Amino acid sequence: MVRTSEDYDPLLRRPFSIYRNYSTSYPMKDKRGHLTILYKKVGKGTQKMITFQKRQKVNLIGPLGNGFFIPPLPSPSPIILIGGGVGIASLSSLGKIFRHEQIYVFIGGKTKNDILCEHDFPKRNVFIATEDGSQGHRGTVVELFCSRLRRFDRNLPHHIYVCGPEGMIKRLSRMNFPQKWTVHVSLEARMGCGFGACWGCVVKTKDPQMAYHRVCKDGPVFSLREILWE
Amino acid sequence: MGMKIKPVIEPDLSISIGKMRLKNPVMTASGTFGYGQEFEHFMDLHQLGAVIPKGISLAPMPGNRPPRIFETNGGILNSIGLQNPGLEVFIKERLPYLKSLKTNLIINFFGNTLQEYSELAQRLNALEGISGLEMNISCPNVKCGGIVFGSDPKMTYRLVSRIKKLTSLPLIVKLTPNVTDIKVIARSAEEGGADAVSLVNTFRAMAINIHTRKPELGNVTGGLSGPAIKPIALRMVWEVFQVIKIPVIGIGGIVKAEDAIEFILAGASAVQIGTANLIHPKTGLEVIEGIRKYLLQYRFPHLQNLIGLLGK
Ligand SMILES: Cc1cc2nc3c(=O)[nH]c(=O)nc-3n(C[C@H](O)[C@H](O)[C@H](O)COP(=O)(O)OP(=O)(O)OC[C@H]3O[C@@H](n4cnc5c(N)ncnc54)[C@H](O)[C@@H]3O)c2cc1C
Ligand SMILES: Cc1cc2nc3c(=O)[nH]c(=O)nc-3n(C[C@H](O)[C@H](O)[C@H](O)COP(=O)(O)O)c2cc1C
Ligand code: FES
Repeated sequence: MVRTSEDYDPLLRRPFSIYRNYSTSYPMKDKRGHLTILYKKVGKGTQKMITFQKRQKVNLIGPLGNGFFIPPLPSPSPIILIGGGVGIASLSSLGKIFRHEQIYVFIGGKTKNDILCEHDFPKRNVFIATEDGSQGHRGTVVELFCSRLRRFDRNLPHHIYVCGPEGMIKRLSRMNFPQKWTVHVSLEARMGCGFGACWGCVVKTKDPQMAYHRVCKDGPVFSLREILWE
Repeated sequence: MGMKIKPVIEPDLSISIGKMRLKNPVMTASGTFGYGQEFEHFMDLHQLGAVIPKGISLAPMPGNRPPRIFETNGGILNSIGLQNPGLEVFIKERLPYLKSLKTNLIINFFGNTLQEYSELAQRLNALEGISGLEMNISCPNVKCGGIVFGSDPKMTYRLVSRIKKLTSLPLIVKLTPNVTDIKVIARSAEEGGADAVSLVNTFRAMAINIHTRKPELGNVTGGLSGPAIKPIALRMVWEVFQVIKIPVIGIGGIVKAEDAIEFILAGASAVQIGTANLIHPKTGLEVIEGIRKYLLQYRFPHLQNLIGLLGK
């Protein structure tokens, strides 16, 4: 959660995924560590962020939330990553973790300028879709993934990791994934605090005890099967 | 050098609400401080005057459909819908930690009927480790066609006097600002036997996305909080202070010590920090320190000297 301004304008912090930190890309050379955020300018807060100067102190709270489930490695099951827009930023570190595994990466965006991080993954298995056809397959990343689905064995377990806009995740949720496949999705929600205090960021789940779970604390990663779309 | 250095007298920040003694006047506003534990990484909770966790009801409340938060200029709209796990789960899972804090624990509660309020008050009264109760009366009365308890002076009086009989704990009544004249409601609460009133809860409000032509909140309307409401909340505290004798607790848009001092000058004996907790979790501690420095700077030995000074 990044404080984009010290003068309460914008008021709330803004949520971002950690694109890189020292534990994945830098050995801990010095105690200070490194943390990289990959972000897109969309509004007031990100507009403030692009004015950040070199050496400027930035107030942020993190890391927060649960993070992706990592199976014991080496994983006998193939890994599939599906990222839309800046959503791919949160999957990039998985590319590192799974670099020796059998991994397939699907990246989508509106145009070729929205295709990020393709070089963070082993080249041979990166598949790209753009809605305007300016790079790779023309269409959505979900369509591209569906067109390749036959190549994966429905009877074997697969681990799928997804991050992207809500529309993309909803479309995936309508697909019939084989029972043995686990689908982990990293969700976005408007956030008040980011650390579990306000209950403003909820998503509806199939939990009979308490339907609404907090994206910031109980997530942001959920099993796609747990989620109930309203 | 000839100059005599006056010894610095540490100002006394303590105040009392009913029989509850607070080491300083800064509390956390219900619903913006989770169940306390969410903040332990950021601050020493023991230093607060009191902790008020998220409001509880007798039965679990699922809360409203998302989106539940929308940022506006200087404020936020929320429609959380009082989501909470209900009293049983609260006692089992949240109370042990809250009780362990070395500060006052004030439980914020609400009901949909007089009966629910009563049962909650009785059961909370029987628990150990609670210093006081804050009754949220900004809820619709389902038995009376859904009009908000705190919007009707008679209903406020009935509710407060009934609850006061059921508990020996100090009772703070939390007022809604969504009324024609908040002074009238504050007086009813006082007549009913309230030990203090806290004000304000959020202002009913809404926002529309003109591109999707849909409301920004899943619940269409919600409550506005944050710096945007401070001047109105301050005016209400000022008005209420002049018509009642019990302590007033000021709430609304406090993000720094100066804001809190304004409320105290207007008549607040204590303040609550709400939305600011979400943005800068240790705001409460900075406000305490800021009030202390202010008292030192202007040589007020006691916080009491400041309360309602504007009208004196
Ligand atoms: C868990 C999580 C991780 C995220 N990770 C990243 C990341 O790594 N990189 C990145 O660039 N962004 C990420 N986002 C999205 C990012 O938080 C928003 O883009 C940012 O809050 C927008 O702030 P703003 O003030 O610039 O825009 P605002 O002024 O708040 O909004 C401007 C426009 O952007 C839209 N918008 C606001 N919030 C979001 C959102 N969450 N998703 C999509 N559109 C939004 C609004 O509807 C509006 O149209 C993440 C969000 C979440 C919840
Ligand atoms: C996310 C959120 C949740 C809230 N939940 C409650 C609640 O459960 N009970 C209650 O009495 N007030 C609740 N409030 C109101 C606050 O306690 C406070 O009265 C209000 O936000 C005004 O103060 P502020 O401007 O400092 O936030 C909530 C406010 C917010 C922003
Ligand atoms: S953003 Fe406050 S609980 Fe998730």
